[in-house]
Amino acid sequence: MARKNPQAKPVAAKSRPPMRKPVRHTPSWVAPIATLAGLAVIIVAFLAYRYFTTPPPVPPANEATTAQVIATITSLPASEFDQVGQGSAKKVLKKVTDQPLKDASGKPLVFYFGAEFCPYCAAERWPLIIALSRFGTFSGLATSTSSSTDVFANTRTFTFRSATYTSDVIAFQSVEASDRDGNGLQSPSAAQQALITKYDQGDTIPFLDIGNGYVLLQPSYMPDAIRGMSWSQIATALGNPESPQAQAIIGSANQLTAAICTLTSNQPATVCTAPIQAIEGKL
Amino acid sequence: MIAASVAGVAVAVYLTFVHFAAVQLVCNASGAINCERVLTSAYADIAGTAVPTSAAGIVWFAVAGVLAFLRRRRALQAWSVLGLLTVLYLVFVEIVQLGAICVWCTAAHALVLVIFLLTVTVPEPAT
Repeated sequence: MARKNPQAKPVAAKSRPPMRKPVRHTPSWVAPIATLAGLAVIIVAFLAYRYFTTPPPVPPANEATTAQVIATITSLPASEFDQVGQGSAKKVLKKVTDQPLKDASGKPLVFYFGAEFCPYCAAERWPLIIALSRFGTFSGLATSTSSSTDVFANTRTFTFRSATYTSDVIAFQSVEASDRDGNGLQSPSAAQQALITKYDQGDTIPFLDIGNGYVLLQPSYMPDAIRGMSWSQIATALGNPESPQAQAIIGSANQLTAAICTLTSNQPATVCTAPIQAIEGKL
Repeated sequence: MIAASVAGVAVAVYLTFVHFAAVQLVCNASGAINCERVLTSAYADIAGTAVPTSAAGIVWFAVAGVLAFLRRRRALQAWSVLGLLTVLYLVFVEIVQLGAICVWCTAAHALVLVIFLLTVTVPEPAT
């Protein structure tokens, strides 16, 4: 009888592979959920950053300052306008051919459509007020600023919401569609809406219809030119024809003046001077 | 992924068209979500160039589509990470700098995100 080898190892009935711990795969939904959660956190951080860095609203100027600023910008010497010419203003007036636009009294009508929040409207009101003041008189103008949460935040400007305009040669109508916080303010009349629908299909602002002879669908200069400046600082800068503000604002005012002069048969002559008539030819 | 890339190219082409069409800087009378504000801002062009940012989007989506077609997964993952980082920058610009959201831009951003998510979730095909 054979003897068992005492040193032989016992042999299992079947050889089995070594046992391994099961590998736990990360569920496939973890990566996308983690990504979306991370993006949500980042976007909330962006919103919080914007909230905490948005400048506070700037209060309107007091009555005395408002009156002084308006007096300054509406009494600029004629030599200032001649010296600036078209300045650095962009050529944005677009000639249109249509039935002349007139008010009930038969005067050529200038129609403005904008909003108080809009920084580009804020920029354009300066040259518009200066140009119109050469043909008539405003009352009820008040200072304002563009939206604090928009580009070119708190651009100093005026608002037409309570303004009236009188002139022997032209009429002016304005609509400020929203206040500086975007709340509804004024609505265009049916006739005014018809102009907007016809010439401003994109419903963009500022929009200006100068007697159906010219329309303006974009600002003639960037609000950058008056960024961070107070109303008084802007008015003072307009007294220097070489300043960037004068070049932009008075240059724009001269273009608007030239367009208006085409409606008034170049009257009054003290406004529709030879330099202005030269600009008419370049509009 | 290829379908998302094709859709992204289409959206980016449209944005590029709007960029060149909406050359004026204006406000929308409603003051709401505003593609024109975004597409005519200083950030609508690649810094230092006159090339629209949306044109870079056309390139990005086209490359993503090619990588997806060639099944170059690692390259597509890296490419989509780059795209996602760019999207984060553009969203930062919209929210913080401009305070305006462009719906079409958001659609393009969403497609970049979809492509990125697909690269991290769709398992590699068995070889």
